[in-house]
Amino acid sequence: MNRAFVLAPAPVRAVGLAAMAVALSWARVVALRTPEWQAVTLLAGGLALCLLGVGRSPAELGLARSRMPERLVGGLALAGVLLLPAAVRWSGGPVLAPEFAVAAVAVSVGEEIAFRGVVFAALEDAYGPAPAVLGSAAAWTVAHALSHPPAFLPAVAAAGLLLGAWRWAVRDLVGPIVGHVLADLAL
Amino acid sequence: MIAHPASRRRIAVLALAVVAYALAAWAVAPGFYDGIAPPQPYRWLSPPPQFRSANQLPLSGHATVRVAANGVVDPASVFTQDGQAAVSFVPGAFVTPADRSPVTIDIKPQTTSPNPGKVQLVTNVYCVTSSSTMAPGKDILVTLQFSTQIQAPSDVYEYQGDGPWQKLGSTGSAAPYYVAARATALGCFAAGSVASSGSSSAPQGAQGGGGNTLPIIVALAILVVVLAGIPLAVLRRRGSSEDAGDEETG
Repeated sequence: MNRAFVLAPAPVRAVGLAAMAVALSWARVVALRTPEWQAVTLLAGGLALCLLGVGRSPAELGLARSRMPERLVGGLALAGVLLLPAAVRWSGGPVLAPEFAVAAVAVSVGEEIAFRGVVFAALEDAYGPAPAVLGSAAAWTVAHALSHPPAFLPAVAAAGLLLGAWRWAVRDLVGPIVGHVLADLAL
Repeated sequence: MIAHPASRRRIAVLALAVVAYALAAWAVAPGFYDGIAPPQPYRWLSPPPQFRSANQLPLSGHATVRVAANGVVDPASVFTQDGQAAVSFVPGAFVTPADRSPVTIDIKPQTTSPNPGKVQLVTNVYCVTSSSTMAPGKDILVTLQFSTQIQAPSDVYEYQGDGPWQKLGSTGSAAPYYVAARATALGCFAAGSVASSGSSSAPQGAQGGGGNTLPIIVALAILVVVLAGIPLAVLRRRGSSEDAGDEETG
């Protein structure tokens, strides 16, 4: 990140980071339209999103190590909530291939660090907690606009709000990461 | 932890978010779906005119499934190379060969098929064959992708031999642009809708993902939350005075 961007006013940084996170997500989706190297593309896309967190302390991103058992339990609870609508209508299906399972973890972690970590923190610095929850969820929904049919976007937005609300209420990103990873692996 | 007004507000917001998510997710199955790999442009065997110029031919799939030490054919998911068709099955879905040799399964797009009558097929026809017959009382899950550019089909259909087409139905939705159904016999499969019924009520297509992992994960998550959450809350309450200054509680 260049010096001018780091020194930019907080609102400019927040909007810029949100735009970067969305752009990286869209780039990944567009790159995936080439059938070759899909798992590698996903891994690279997840890593690129993680890189947005460079320069922020773990605590700023909600990744402090205190009360880890509670954070992990919270993540399981979030996974339960995220998966429940699918679980009650479940009828079985193919498993995710191993290379895509690894890629799914990378993308999930990357999305959480980028949207609920970096973008959330930047928006909170600039505008406060409510815009941080709403703005990070909005950016995350826009990031999914290329890969999802419009009918699915309200559920994506609602999931973003839930994960963002957790991030704000518990000051924690471990829970959203665990919940998101499990949800992606299961579906 | 709960007694503080700020904590109550946070819990209330979280509860509201959970309710909002449940409502939004219930409106479209499977709910939150992160779609790791978005669907590629559908590969048509006989493309409709609007897709003819950029069309690529669909690919077939092949897999060899071994017989486990207990003499039962392993579970597996077999995909075509382009991911447009898949079959998945539980252990023992196929009869174990006498020599316990591996069972081979093939999925091939089919050029010709019986007239489906009033059913409008909107996917390629895929024929599934295996080197061993299906075990009595067992079934397979057939999952078919459909084009993002067409109306979602309502059901999966199957024919065997020379036909006719039989409706298998749909298991319900699990992913955009996929439809799935259970079949008790191998044959040829395609997705479609009855043309006269209109297509406005056709559900989103479905693909299961994760085999039996989803219900297991959900059950484990709930179990762990129940078993671990209560003692953790008690410990947290006991240690709340020590934690008062911790920035992580906000």
